[in-house]
Amino acid sequence: MKGRGLGSLILVILLMLAVGVPAMAQNEIKIGAVQPITGRFAFAGVNINAGLEDALMMANEDGGINGKKIKYIMEDGQYQLDVATAAFKRIMSRDNPLVMYGESTGLGKAMSPEIKDRYKILYSSTSFSGELADAANNPYVFVPGPTYADMMGILLKYIAKEKPGAKVAFFYSDTEFGKDPIPFAREMCKTLKLDLVAEEVAQVGAVDVTSQVLDLKRKAPDFVIFQGFVVDPIATVIKQCRDFGMKCKFMGTFWGASKMVADNLGPLAEGYMAVNPYMYWWNDDVPMIQKIKAYSKKVYPNVAYRDNSYMQGFMTGLLFVECLKKADKAGQLNGEGLVKALQSIKDFDSGGLSAPLTIKNNKFPVARVWQVNTQKKIFEPVSDWMTLE
Amino acid sequence: MRCGDFRESYLEDEKIFQTIFVKIWLGVLGVVLVCLPFVTSAYVMYVANLIGFAIIGAVGLNLLTGFTGQISLGHAAFVGVGGYATAIIITRLGLPFWIALPLAGLVAAAVGMVIGIPSLRVKGLYLCIATLAAQFIFEYVFVHWESMTHGIRGINVPPPRIGSFVFDTEKSFYYITLVLVVLAVGFARNLIRTKWGRAFVAIRDRDLAAEIMGINLFRYKLAAFALSSFFAGIAGGLWVSFIKVVTPEHFPFSLSIQYLAMIIVGGLGSVLGSIFGAIFMTLVPELLNILTGVAKYFFPGMDQLFIPMKEVIFGVMIVSFLIFEPHGLAEIWHRIKNFFSLWPFSY
Repeated sequence: MKGRGLGSLILVILLMLAVGVPAMAQNEIKIGAVQPITGRFAFAGVNINAGLEDALMMANEDGGINGKKIKYIMEDGQYQLDVATAAFKRIMSRDNPLVMYGESTGLGKAMSPEIKDRYKILYSSTSFSGELADAANNPYVFVPGPTYADMMGILLKYIAKEKPGAKVAFFYSDTEFGKDPIPFAREMCKTLKLDLVAEEVAQVGAVDVTSQVLDLKRKAPDFVIFQGFVVDPIATVIKQCRDFGMKCKFMGTFWGASKMVADNLGPLAEGYMAVNPYMYWWNDDVPMIQKIKAYSKKVYPNVAYRDNSYMQGFMTGLLFVECLKKADKAGQLNGEGLVKALQSIKDFDSGGLSAPLTIKNNKFPVARVWQVNTQKKIFEPVSDWMTLE
Repeated sequence: MRCGDFRESYLEDEKIFQTIFVKIWLGVLGVVLVCLPFVTSAYVMYVANLIGFAIIGAVGLNLLTGFTGQISLGHAAFVGVGGYATAIIITRLGLPFWIALPLAGLVAAAVGMVIGIPSLRVKGLYLCIATLAAQFIFEYVFVHWESMTHGIRGINVPPPRIGSFVFDTEKSFYYITLVLVVLAVGFARNLIRTKWGRAFVAIRDRDLAAEIMGINLFRYKLAAFALSSFFAGIAGGLWVSFIKVVTPEHFPFSLSIQYLAMIIVGGLGSVLGSIFGAIFMTLVPELLNILTGVAKYFFPGMDQLFIPMKEVIFGVMIVSFLIFEPHGLAEIWHRIKNFFSLWPFSY
């Protein structure tokens, strides 16, 4: 009997699904997303999803895409390639959206041949990997900011300006995420005449980093740039370096610019810098931040703070909306029209959320350098917007 | 009217198609499977393909673990070897998919034999750990042998083609998968009726006794590893040709566990069980996805609670299977079949 009860419950739910879902409105634009809501990237995934959804829903409140409403369809990809691929295909075959958002570098790489030859949809993702910003090979895929290589480049430019000829060290993880910008950053050091004295590699979440720290002590760099870690072992490295009396400055890229890192470091965060292409939640003078906060207060009264990953999702949403509006105006609301719209983005005003954005090889290579204020536990800008040519 | 199933010789006992009804139903199933792409969406076909690859892999693992009793935690590594071998043979040597796939199976089989050598000295949990090592060694090789595997970036694999026809959609690829699943299942089902199959079972039940009976343990254990890895290699080769890319991310340790779960949930030592297990393990997460989608519709804003919940439900389902039906889905199927084959006179 129990089995029958469960069976009939499932049947009822499936019937409700078949009957209950209202007929789709004609004037609707679908945007699909595979987000890492669970799994090891969930800490950012939940924020990114909220950012993207909020940007699209706010656009709907402002009249949608020239009157057409946006429908946001999200599925969990668990940060696992097979689950994410299945979710991607499910959304494509069921809803056939015009625009898709993906949860990882891996998913972007796996789907990019089909995005180009079969689906022909605008695609962006949580990834800042340089491989996903290649207009010649895949015009449909873009990065909603600078790539990791650009971020490293901007940090190095900042260093070259602050202290010409400084000694620099890279500290990166043995993952694609860690290694992605390193070849470019090496070249950049040569052009900027910086002295690259050390390259240290560690596992993500490593506990024992003594040998790397000892090597750093020997090479005595002025600046150490972390890449490819989220939290650990950044704190351990900084602590051990300080214990050895080293005075070097530490820097991070986008994931190192999260408030989580500053909180985690505590007093060790003194002087810690990171590159971030978007403004923060506490930058109340920015019109778009005010708008986000007002919307958030209305929809999620319990939310007190959103990290920089939220801003990434939000910025992607703004860019999607801009492309859709342009393509719709041109009467070409399809993949080809969206690519044309994307390529025509010039000095795009994001309400102050970032610098005016101009597309360059399917990415937006602009960001600024921020430093932790340990009293207020926030990041404050130490440079103006810097563009990498 | 039938009121029982009577067999008069061992030959009849070993028959695959015990009655005419089995043939009829299998024929119906065959027709349904062939017609499936015409009535379903690309997404359903995508899942059907995944189930196909899982069946081939699971049947392979069941030959090794279910029939020969050698537990392997490195099955994903063999799937990976097959996948990479296919990709490399197609892109480097320029051979067509149709030649690359069997070659990749042979490469995986050779690797499986090497990994299987410890099975002659170690058993049970110890063998588990020895095969686990294979998993990690190959994960490392896939990432770090950059000249061959292109490291973390992976290799793009062109889809199979015959003349000008390209198998690049879920629907067209489905037929390749279907044919290979039928071949793989047919082979395994027949193999267990032969001298080899009986030797495998004898080794599983008591290897010492098997050796005394004259079964060459060295030969048969390695053969089981080779066969199992061959199946895994074919599954891997199909999979990467289907998704058109291969990266080390595709073959994590969790995939090995998933294969093991498939044959345990389905039924150890049963070809039919491997099929049920593969279907269950692939389909249930997808169904749960749909259910959470429906739940989201009725309780908006609760996504963050529902989405992680499906993992919990999936876990509970597997545990309940193990408790309430340790012989797996195959046994449940068997009971249902017996009930109906003698219905309404079940005594």
